[in-house]
Amino acid sequence: MKDSQGDPRGGVSRRGFLTGTGAAAAVAGLTGELAPPAPAQVNPASAPGAGPGAVRLELTVNGKPVNTSVEPRVTLLDALRNYLDVTGCKRVCDRGTCGACTVVLNGRTVYSCTMLALEARGADVKTAESLGMGRLDPVPAAFAENDAQQCGFCTPGFVVSMRAAFDKNPNATPEQIEAALCGNICRCGTYEQMRNAVVQLCRKGG
Amino acid sequence: MAEGWPKKRRLLGTRVRRLDGPDKATGRAKYSFDINRKGMLHGAILRSPYAHAKIKSIDTTEAKKTPGLKALLIIGVARNGTITAIDGNTLTYKVATAAPKKKGPKKDEKPEEKKEETFNVEVTPGVTLISKNKVVKLSDLKVGDPVTIESEQAAVGRELFFAGDEIAAVAADTEEHAKDALKAIKIEYDPLDHFVHEDEVIKNPRKKTTPGPLQGNLDDTGKEFTKGDVAAGFDKSDATVEGTYGVPVISHQCLESHGLVAEWDQDGGLTVWCSTQATVSIAGALAGRFGIPPTKVKCITHYMGGGFGSKFSPGVWGFTAADLARRAGAPVKIMLDREEEITTAGNRPSASGTVKIAGNKDGTITAFAVDCRGTPGFAGGATVNLNLLPYIYLDAIPNIKRSHSVVLINAGQAQAMRAPGHPQNCVLTEFAVDDLAAKLGIDPLIIRRKNLPPNTKTKDAISWAARRNNVYNEQLDIATKLAGWQQKWHPPGMGKAGTVKHGIGMAIHTWGGFAAGGNTPNECHVIISRDGTATAQTSTQDLGTAQRTVTAIVVAEILGLTPTDVVTKIGESPFGFSSGSGGSTTCPSQAPAALLAAQAARDDLFKKVAPKVGADPTDLVIEVGKVVDAKNKKEWAWKEFCARLGMDEAKGKGEWSLAISNEPGNENISSGQVGGVQIAEVLVDSETGVVRAKHLVAVQDCGLVVNKLACESQVAGGVIMGLNYALFEEIIRDQQTGRQVNPDMEFYKLGGLADMPKITVHMMDMPERGVIGIGEPPTISTAAAVGNAVFNALGVRVPFIPLTPKRVLDALKKGGKA
Repeated sequence: MKDSQGDPRGGVSRRGFLTGTGAAAAVAGLTGELAPPAPAQVNPASAPGAGPGAVRLELTVNGKPVNTSVEPRVTLLDALRNYLDVTGCKRVCDRGTCGACTVVLNGRTVYSCTMLALEARGADVKTAESLGMGRLDPVPAAFAENDAQQCGFCTPGFVVSMRAAFDKNPNATPEQIEAALCGNICRCGTYEQMRNAVVQLCRKGG
Repeated sequence: MAEGWPKKRRLLGTRVRRLDGPDKATGRAKYSFDINRKGMLHGAILRSPYAHAKIKSIDTTEAKKTPGLKALLIIGVARNGTITAIDGNTLTYKVATAAPKKKGPKKDEKPEEKKEETFNVEVTPGVTLISKNKVVKLSDLKVGDPVTIESEQAAVGRELFFAGDEIAAVAADTEEHAKDALKAIKIEYDPLDHFVHEDEVIKNPRKKTTPGPLQGNLDDTGKEFTKGDVAAGFDKSDATVEGTYGVPVISHQCLESHGLVAEWDQDGGLTVWCSTQATVSIAGALAGRFGIPPTKVKCITHYMGGGFGSKFSPGVWGFTAADLARRAGAPVKIMLDREEEITTAGNRPSASGTVKIAGNKDGTITAFAVDCRGTPGFAGGATVNLNLLPYIYLDAIPNIKRSHSVVLINAGQAQAMRAPGHPQNCVLTEFAVDDLAAKLGIDPLIIRRKNLPPNTKTKDAISWAARRNNVYNEQLDIATKLAGWQQKWHPPGMGKAGTVKHGIGMAIHTWGGFAAGGNTPNECHVIISRDGTATAQTSTQDLGTAQRTVTAIVVAEILGLTPTDVVTKIGESPFGFSSGSGGSTTCPSQAPAALLAAQAARDDLFKKVAPKVGADPTDLVIEVGKVVDAKNKKEWAWKEFCARLGMDEAKGKGEWSLAISNEPGNENISSGQVGGVQIAEVLVDSETGVVRAKHLVAVQDCGLVVNKLACESQVAGGVIMGLNYALFEEIIRDQQTGRQVNPDMEFYKLGGLADMPKITVHMMDMPERGVIGIGEPPTISTAAAVGNAVFNALGVRVPFIPLTPKRVLDALKKGGKA
């Protein structure tokens, strides 16, 4: 509806917001412990001058080099889901609130819905799928063991955020891990079980 | 009489991890939203920006030229007819129509009476013809052919009733191109007056801005209820209080939005991957819409990201995706975006009203009168379910009166939401009960104990009715102990001095949770293969309740296996009948069906293999991992025994329904009616108005617990949904623009981990009552308990939820003890 004509509210669309504020808005999607923007990790030369037609996009997803062509307005999330069939990152709020689309980009967690795909050119992107390849990572394993999920649609986002927090600090306390999960929302209400998973993981050092 | 649950439970009631946990946690699980089919197109829907308007003009010429566009349709104008004449470019067709109903609610009218109308249409580029689910040219058709005619210009004059009402839809090769095409559709509107606030309707009760037979937007008839003599009840009491309380319209906020992927096959069959809580009825609804047999429609829901009552029907978006797919000859995905999800895919109706309640010093409630209203959006319906009655106290209070109005506004329509009607009812009732306790100067625990429903002596001894008074009292004992009620409760507003006020409050609830009614029983099929694999197959869906795991636990229990040994195939409509997951009916329908299927498969296995091993089938029993001939002291490892099936397999079918559960002897397999008590402890900052929940205690009975881990999770999840209702959630609409101002997840608030209190769940296991559904009850009383805790903290009632800082501060200004 945000794109409908005659909008009496004159609402700001996400695309307009993104394309209007550029890379600064994209890195504002960084999650975690209120980490400052890390512009050096994003190629600033990638966005200006591209489009409006599809532009080649090359990046590494879960350790595998992939490529496709997307229009400059396509978000990293939509590129992953619609063009690369990587669907562990979920589209829920689509404007940087709920955390379901969280991925790790060059070692930092980002909301992939608030970043343009072209800004991730050449980046190393990891989604929840990377934690299930081969041996199951302890973080998703703890979610399963503690039943820290119901419908599960938010879970990959939580799992990615939590994994990143432990990677940053393997000796993190439960409070520090919980703080790192403040950018994620669960609707089924599995927070109590998530806390159990956090405590268990903190004992083991992630 | 069925064999029933095993006397000795090995897996049932234990803590079993959900089987699909790792798949969901690592993104491997494919939800409907994640389905990408080869050649799939993306659909998008053009919606009304106005709360109420008429379409003045529509032109799709430019839209049809946009890159990547594959199909375009106009919503709400297609007619199904039979061709009576073709003359040049003019098509004449007749349509069977029901007699018009809109002229008024005359009860003697017979709307069933059919008549035929004839129409002419000039077949221009704005007219789409569809025959046998394919777009055709006029030259493909002849007189007598059935045809669907969709004329773009028929949309002119169509009335739109809310911001978000569907107008047209497109399918294109990319989502970006679909949005471009929508933008290129030229539409002019004639805006009309609208109401998006209930108060505005109350001021203008006879002004009509919504569809249907009402004279205005207010339906104040048909909801009266009276018991006893209310006036006398008020007269004879020690104290009377009257308060106005309310709850807002809230959104289900399913994280996976509504929608589906539709794909037609060469033979005219349709497969949909749909985010639904009712695979079988989705298939039926689509079959009906497109005139094909239900067996030719397959609905797949292997995983789904939340429904909470809002996902029973394909919805306009689902029918539209399937329609676009048939026109484009390619799969089409439509999943709603967040704004669409919140504004069009359902909501929980509001409720507000005045409650007058009276009682005596011993805690006896003598009279209860409620006059209230609520809005389900632009159209009412069965899902509204605003039967605002003091359910728990209905039997105990001698004098009750209710009047109720349904207020229609120009907003998206309500859908059932987790215990429809009950959370609203619980807030209005339990707030009043605590206000009365305060006026009487007694502990809210006393007034609750005093007015619990009595046991009904005539009923079967294990039933809810026969023991509900005892159950509630026991739950109150457990809950008050777990919460430290005796130490922590203080008269309202009389806690320790300081800015941050401590409060504790309680509320109680009831729910059904029986097996599903209806004529067709829920099915489950179990197949034992010669390699020892047990496969359980059912069309039911797992909404996040761990239903897949429930099926595996039950089958494993009976066959001496572990749940991970069982191959569970669920969520595909051709797997036999299952009812929609509503009313907490799924587990009490499906667990018994799985039980009977496993027992039947076991018996079939014994029958087929016993002769080959020289045993009598009646001597055989299953123990963990083996089959034992108790009489002849022989035993076979499970796989060894199953191998003797040879080329055969053993099969069993189980069926269960409310009617079967009501047959004599089946009351131990599934039943219904539960109670629950919740206690909330809060801290309220009287300077900022911020409420923080500190501890929530939920005591819940649910008959035979199948999976304790998932059951506790379900209760804690219900409590958290109730806490969100109490503190954060509210759909806010602007009367000026007619639009919702928070159709997102930024300004429509849901709690995160940092907002969560400690949650203590206590399940009362009552295995003799069989399986009872647990999805809905634990969310009913949380908001009421939190609101009562805030009252206890402040000594002043904050009458409307969510209990935002502003509402808290406003209430304090009016006379709190800050």
